Amino acid sequence: MIPSLILCPKCKNPLTESVLNRPELTPCPVCAAPLWVEVFPALFRRTAAGRDGEAVLVADEATCFYHPQKKAVLPCEGCGRFLCALCDCELHGQHFCPACLEVGRKKRKIKSLENERTLYDSIALALAVAPLLIFYLTFITAPAALFVAFRYWNAPRSIVHRSRIRLVLAIIFASLQIVGWAVAIYFIATRRKSHG
Amino acid sequence: MAEKEYQRLTRARPRSRFSVISSGNSSLWLGKDHVLCIDTNGYNESYKRFYFRDIQALVIRKTDRHKWWGLIFVVLALGFFLPAAISSEVVIKYIFGSIAGFLVLLLLINLALGPASACQIRTAVQIEDLPSLNRMRRARKVLERLRPLVVAAQGELRPEEIPLRLQELSTSAPGTMPSTSDTSSYVIEDPNTPPRTL
Repeated sequence: MIPSLILCPKCKNPLTESVLNRPELTPCPVCAAPLWVEVFPALFRRTAAGRDGEAVLVADEATCFYHPQKKAVLPCEGCGRFLCALCDCELHGQHFCPACLEVGRKKRKIKSLENERTLYDSIALALAVAPLLIFYLTFITAPAALFVAFRYWNAPRSIVHRSRIRLVLAIIFASLQIVGWAVAIYFIATRRKSHG
Repeated sequence: MAEKEYQRLTRARPRSRFSVISSGNSSLWLGKDHVLCIDTNGYNESYKRFYFRDIQALVIRKTDRHKWWGLIFVVLALGFFLPAAISSEVVIKYIFGSIAGFLVLLLLINLALGPASACQIRTAVQIEDLPSLNRMRRARKVLERLRPLVVAAQGELRPEEIPLRLQELSTSAPGTMPSTSDTSSYVIEDPNTPPRTL
């Protein structure tokens, strides 16, 4: 029995090969937890060593923008700067310099680097609906919901397909609340006038 | 109509095991070349991508969670059913009876969903829990859907190959594995700027 690199999620002991890629649930040899472990060739793949930049030998040779003593191997597809092998960051077949990658991540230009999004549509809907329980709060939250809905109408929503229905509902609810407040204020004002 | 970039694999499930008021949900989506795990708290989403070429293993463990939930539902249902059966008050009969009925419905749903599971995905740099795969049936379905995609990206691994590959790994000398911490020729002073060569 050869221990593998996979640990049992329950007892944390290395699983033997007898448990791997079996068609049915197989008990862990140590804790007998029923497991179904599917391993793929990447488990046995060795990590490729990183490349160092090649030193410039001829004076007129193109050099890396960041390392003038290193030979340029390709241009960055974001900014066009020449890069050595060390500075070349490959992403889905495209080559970027580290600065462009960072900018792409921060400005959300490279979608596959995005690891977080704020759901403004959910925030707007929550602002419009949640305070209904404490009605007085809607005096503040309804305009806030409208502001968020209009301000972030074009902001990216969830990375998976999502319609603008939450924003639309937020606008409808918030508008109704504002109208309600306006009517209430009007009636109070007119009643005071008539009493006065 | 444009094709959607992601297809849903699982619905959002609570990340925490005992969360009644959920602190966060997790769902799985299938992309062109990766599985996307979305963790959301309702107002913010964070994404984890597991590329097919990087997935090393999927581990599914059958758990007893469904049995415990079943037991809880049975006890609670009996707890509400008995006063409803004994009481002569019609109002109590209706209230307690309907609560007991609701708990029986939850019990039936729990039974219909089948055995519970806990699932992990492993890559070279992380082991991530997949809380949305909390039932064996769903986990199997997802695995059946993912397997051909991972095989297409990495190649087939036959069961008889596994002992040989493991043997190779265990016998390979420690020096043959490339070290990821070898930074002798350059230094990274700031992760946001390019490395500086020495």
